Amino acid sequence: MTYLIVENVSKKFCRNLKQSLKYGVQDIITEITGKNRNSDKLRNGEFWALQNISLQLKPGEALGLIGANGAGKTTLLRLISGLMKPDTGCIKVRGRVAPLIALGAGFNPILTGRENIYANMSILGLSTQQITKRLKDVIDFAEIDTAIDAPVQTYSSGMAARLGFACAVHIEPDVLLIDEVLAVGDIKFRMKCYQKLAQLREQGTAFILVAHNPHVVLNVCESSIYLAKGNIITSGNTADVIRAYEDDLNMVTYSESESIMYLPAKPESESMGVDITSLCFKDNQSEIIPTLISGQPANLAIHCKAYQNVDNLNIGVIISALSGQNERILYITSASDNELIQIQSGAVEIQMQMPYCCLLPGLYNAKLYIKQGVQSLDIVQSFRFAVKANQVISQSLFYQPHTWKVTNTPSS
Amino acid sequence: MKQEIIYTPLSSLRHPKKLLREMWQDLLASRELAWRLMVRDINSQYRQSLLGITWAFLPPIVMATGFTLANQANVIQVGKTDIPYPAYVTFSTALWQTFVEALNSPLQAVIQARPILAKVNFPREALIIAKLGETLFNFAIKIFLIIALFVWFQIPVTWTIILAPVAIIHLILLGTLIGVLLAPLGLLYQDISRGLTLITGFWLFLTPVIYPVPKTGIFGTLVNFNPVTPLLVTARELATTGNLSQSTAFWIVSIITFIGLILTWIAFRLAMPFVVERVG
Repeated sequence: MTYLIVENVSKKFCRNLKQSLKYGVQDIITEITGKNRNSDKLRNGEFWALQNISLQLKPGEALGLIGANGAGKTTLLRLISGLMKPDTGCIKVRGRVAPLIALGAGFNPILTGRENIYANMSILGLSTQQITKRLKDVIDFAEIDTAIDAPVQTYSSGMAARLGFACAVHIEPDVLLIDEVLAVGDIKFRMKCYQKLAQLREQGTAFILVAHNPHVVLNVCESSIYLAKGNIITSGNTADVIRAYEDDLNMVTYSESESIMYLPAKPESESMGVDITSLCFKDNQSEIIPTLISGQPANLAIHCKAYQNVDNLNIGVIISALSGQNERILYITSASDNELIQIQSGAVEIQMQMPYCCLLPGLYNAKLYIKQGVQSLDIVQSFRFAVKANQVISQSLFYQPHTWKVTNTPSS
Repeated sequence: MKQEIIYTPLSSLRHPKKLLREMWQDLLASRELAWRLMVRDINSQYRQSLLGITWAFLPPIVMATGFTLANQANVIQVGKTDIPYPAYVTFSTALWQTFVEALNSPLQAVIQARPILAKVNFPREALIIAKLGETLFNFAIKIFLIIALFVWFQIPVTWTIILAPVAIIHLILLGTLIGVLLAPLGLLYQDISRGLTLITGFWLFLTPVIYPVPKTGIFGTLVNFNPVTPLLVTARELATTGNLSQSTAFWIVSIITFIGLILTWIAFRLAMPFVVERVG
């Protein structure tokens, strides 16, 4: 069973308002007279906002839509929700589609929160009986217990957004279209939203998620589509798609199709004595691993070429999240671990061993340096790697290695 | 297995059976939503207001006072009316206003709901039905005024008064027909709402609201060709004398209204996605 099939769908728009309105009237007249709109051809001043888009969505699947502003992401969501007709191709929907596009659509500022919940949720397609049943959950989720009978115009913008989100997720649809709305509220509420989304997903709800922050998409969706100017550039595994997107954004210039990063060899005259020649991650069997997995062992293998014996090497690894705000996540140095690294001249492999990778799924950047005392011997500015997860841990901030133990005390 | 919905570029008229089935389903689906929207609109309409429902009474009273004074001073000459002139004007104005409300409300509804229309796919019929309900509600309030008027002027009524609501509903449906026809266009072009205000102002003078039905002259012909005339006159006559002067015209206009309403409904459904696409 498939909830949604989109086949070769295109949509055209017109930038000039007067012309656009005129075409609108033309289209209405041809539609009413039952004639063919010839919608597969562009009229003067029109352009393709979406072209030949195909995708499928099965229950419990989450699909990310990535792309710059104006790439056609919202247009695609609006076509799927049936707000407008496609110009070519067809869209088949099975089940209830709820848009999380319209947070608080139809909120009337004069009416109370409670009244607005009823109005909003019935616009989204619930019967009064169903709303009454879910009312308490909605109020609890939005955390506006005390303000529920006050007019919505007295709410803070965060409260109104929370109420809107609470209404939308309690519709419990088959397909949820989420358009960059998860940026509302404080961090605590955002975590709660993700939690709710994960819960819905376990119940079989399928998602299409649009977000500017690729980190969000990476945490929620396994597969993604990268749209640019109305065309699908790449689709598939989210980490790959995001890489393609970020490459296009010129965020990173180097391709990560290989899991080993080789650094150009330096002539001995430029070397400070120790050069990093390559970087990669290995597992405990010394096999190279292309992507790290949260909770699994990962060893950062640093290959060096040493021209001399060094006995007090200090290696620093600084890891920051590529997506999001580029926050620094880890700062590890061998010196602060009181580890004196001794190497002999020749080829050396130094491993920074992590029995558990505690990073969350995402893309990361590692900066490395090798120092001897205060003197810097070599620096690698950027080694990018991706982390995936085998289980859903997106609601956590990091991976905590753990086991469970049960001790039964038999009753005498 | 859930029902599959398919969106294609082809005109929905290509599958008339499917279209009619969807129309019926949406009509059923919009009952509760329409009720919600109506309750919401009526609530918010009166909540931020001191005079509240008095606003339903005031316009006919003000209008009647003005014209009665003008009539008494012989500034305007109206012929003889079946019932005392102040009652005649107040009652007719209430009917006329109900018609204008029904005429304007579909356009108002879609303009107000524009942000939601652009984001949520709900049965659009609900907007129209909610406004229809609001019009009926507002008229129901005016009924108290009319009853007070009938008692005050001791206007005799006949049993036909129980049929008057039928004529009033036809009057409201005629307004809705025109309103729904204009609503999608009005969302695209602001000219429609401006033009509507202008036209209803002029239309009032072609309708026997402040004067009895004229029998002669070009004016008489114009008034008799006005589709509102037979509906409004019949409603008034049913409520008072019971002698119907325009029953044939009444049925002609009514039948045209019913057929027109269904056709307009289809047109409205077909047009809305294109309108939403352009203004959303």
